[in-house]
Amino acid sequence: MVSFSPEVVDSIIRTASLIGAGLAVIAGIGPGIGMGYAAGAATEAVRRQPEARGAIITTMLLGQVISGSTGIYSLVIAIFLIFSG
Amino acid sequence: MKYIDEPAKLQQEILKKTYSLALIPLIYSLIRGEFATLLGFIFGLLIATLIFRLRLIQIERALDMQEKKASTFIRNRYFIEYIIYFVVLFVARKNPSVNFLAAAVGLFFVKLTVIGLVMIDIIKGSLEKKLESYR
Repeated sequence: MVSFSPEVVDSIIRTASLIGAGLAVIAGIGPGIGMGYAAGAATEAVRRQPEARGAIITTMLLGQVISGSTGIYSLVIAIFLIFSG
Repeated sequence: MKYIDEPAKLQQEILKKTYSLALIPLIYSLIRGEFATLLGFIFGLLIATLIFRLRLIQIERALDMQEKKASTFIRNRYFIEYIIYFVVLFVARKNPSVNFLAAAVGLFFVKLTVIGLVMIDIIKGSLEKKLESYR
């Protein structure tokens, strides 16, 4: 059986946690792309129905607030991994 | 939901409810003497409030643009917000006088209030429907 010294094991753990942090941060890209699509659709909706502008803004605001939270989840996990590794 | 056609008023209403709800953890941490938690929570909550206000301004600006331009604008602004969130969480983790988890909860607090308000609305709506069906 192959055995590693504690320094090597430590560096493997550190590397793995940093790779994990990087992967976790990728999760924050999704909401940005989704919000962009929603904004494009909202501009089209306002052009078609200008009297519904207030309702569209409200819906978009609440939707963006909720969808943005997944980005914070990923950041929390990433920072935990960066500092605990 | 109340003020569905007036986003600015709805935003103020949400912020009022957020701050009145935030008094509970603030007073609790103050009584227990956990100043790091108190500081972290206030830090996160203030940043979340500012970003929430900024988001409404950005949406209003985006709706006057072309479809593609608006899409790119909102996407870029989201990534800037993402960097701000990262800086806030990083500072909270690095600084020993600020509790990291409290800062994260502070960042989430506006979102939790919005989810709570929507849930209350859904429950109210379903109860009203049930009451009407009994009549």
